[in-house]
Amino acid sequence: MSVKKKFKGLSDKAVGWLFIGPTVLLLLAINIYPLVYAIKMSFTNFYANKIGREPQFIGLKNYIKVLNKEAIWEKMQVTASFMFWTLLLQAIIGLGLALLLNKKFKGNELLTTLIVLPMMLSPAVVGVFWTYLYNPQVGLFNYVVNFFYDFGSFDMIGSSMLAPWSIVIVDTWMWTPFTMLICLAGLRSVPNYLYEAAEVDRASKWQQFIYITLPSVLPFLLLALLFRGIENFKMFDMVVELTSGGPGSATELASINLKREAFEKWKTGYSSAFAVILFVTIFGFGNVYVKVMNKIKER
Amino acid sequence: MDTSRSYLEPSSFSKKIAAAIIIVYTVITLIPISWMVMTSFKNVDSAISYPPEVLFEPSLEGYVNLFTNRSRQSPEYLDSLPPPKNWYEELVRSREMVITGPSKFLGRYSNSMIIGFGSTFASVFLGALAAYAFSRFRVPLKDDLLFFILSTRMFPPIAVAVPIFIMYRKLGLGDTHLGMIILYTVVNLSLAVWLLKGFMDEIPKEYEEAAMIDGYSRLQAFFKVVLPQAMTGIAATAIFCMIFSWNEYAFAVLLTQFNAQTAPPFIPTIIGEGGLDWPAIGAGTTLFLLPVMIFTIILRKHLLRGITFGAVRK
Repeated sequence: MSVKKKFKGLSDKAVGWLFIGPTVLLLLAINIYPLVYAIKMSFTNFYANKIGREPQFIGLKNYIKVLNKEAIWEKMQVTASFMFWTLLLQAIIGLGLALLLNKKFKGNELLTTLIVLPMMLSPAVVGVFWTYLYNPQVGLFNYVVNFFYDFGSFDMIGSSMLAPWSIVIVDTWMWTPFTMLICLAGLRSVPNYLYEAAEVDRASKWQQFIYITLPSVLPFLLLALLFRGIENFKMFDMVVELTSGGPGSATELASINLKREAFEKWKTGYSSAFAVILFVTIFGFGNVYVKVMNKIKER
Repeated sequence: MDTSRSYLEPSSFSKKIAAAIIIVYTVITLIPISWMVMTSFKNVDSAISYPPEVLFEPSLEGYVNLFTNRSRQSPEYLDSLPPPKNWYEELVRSREMVITGPSKFLGRYSNSMIIGFGSTFASVFLGALAAYAFSRFRVPLKDDLLFFILSTRMFPPIAVAVPIFIMYRKLGLGDTHLGMIILYTVVNLSLAVWLLKGFMDEIPKEYEEAAMIDGYSRLQAFFKVVLPQAMTGIAATAIFCMIFSWNEYAFAVLLTQFNAQTAPPFIPTIIGEGGLDWPAIGAGTTLFLLPVMIFTIILRKHLLRGITFGAVRK
């Protein structure tokens, strides 16, 4: 009896391809094909609402147009400052909460769950609801702020100075729990013997924090920020419903502008070039970030 | 034993301080959610009173407005009508309106259900197959394939929305349940494969090898031995896929309009005349967000594990 014939039925190789095949095919059809299609369209003057007209190849014109447009750089700036403040706040508050929760007091599992609730909610619906909280006449947010310090009437969404902060606040409220959870996982992975050894060496609590806790959490924190960074670079739903990019274009993030060009003005070729540029940006930054992150990890 | 641990344990004083700060943060973070639930039980006037009312007379006006379409009528016309048949008709009449029919909310809500469950089932099933193969077999270019699967999550939805829109128009999948189920399945698939691979890796190979020596084929062993063992992981993954599909907005708003529109693009449109019907918005958000909140609390252990999964694995 040959050893190979030990088991009946399909060979492992066949089963392997049978199992992986559908996933790869679906991803190719619904993810890769549209991407390739978008890249192709980015070199044409295609308008998706004009069905009869044949798109013409126009080379790099769309890309040149996007990169030369001053408004695009404004959107990129809006996106960058949105990302900077949300990531900064979420890193500080998230890490702080994780350090506190790691003290393992009674009931901290329940509290963790309650803190996590906002990030499970639909961002678009959350955005709608916050327009009520921010309402300058009747909003709870305005009332609470004025309760502590009387600013008089102010409009978080309507003022171009405050609107960028209105989206930073909601995003931080929603997503700080994410950084917190990842940091918490990091804190729990620090082996106890490190602290025991530090105690034996009479290291102070502060020294333990600087030399043991922080370096072990840092890779986790950076990973959480990578995920949040990618998500916030693509940010669309919450902001569309909260400010719809306004007032003017004070909160018009890159992807909101992309949606306007693609689905309101139907400039398919132009918007595809913009999409490709965004995609390359996110991939480029992501790769550099991961490299830096791995260097920090190795140390 | 006890003394060797004690100096690692935070002092009871620092525990109390930590607990106090965390409780304050929890209360603050829950205020917007509680306010939403409270607003859903206010009447229209009390929702726009200032200062905001914490104590109020509960009303179901928001829920009535959420589920009905109404039109404003003159007092003379209202007087000429027969007396209202039930409490909600009476409530609407007191606002000088009549009910003209049911609103679209239930339809949108059930679209969310159908598309959510359909895509969750498909992505967990396909994801489990792929995860098993990646976990057990020598697949050529395994790491590249796994990275490829993960990298598809980085695409901004808007970037691929136009091609998908055109493709769906050609295939007749635009604004259909099937189209949205396929789309969400694919978006969830990458996460499902990664999560499930982690769970499959933890199931000892010996289980199915023993089954195969007993005469099971590889397929039988997978369905009868491995899948039941992986049930916890499958449940956790399913919750994640369900939450994503339930909450998704960008694709829904761009690719659906009438037939297959889900609740997230619909809820903002129920603001009503004058943009003041906050109780109805509150009611819609509450009914929409409640299932997710209940899920989160009941299944917290699986969920929290799933979120930190990527970080802990490494």
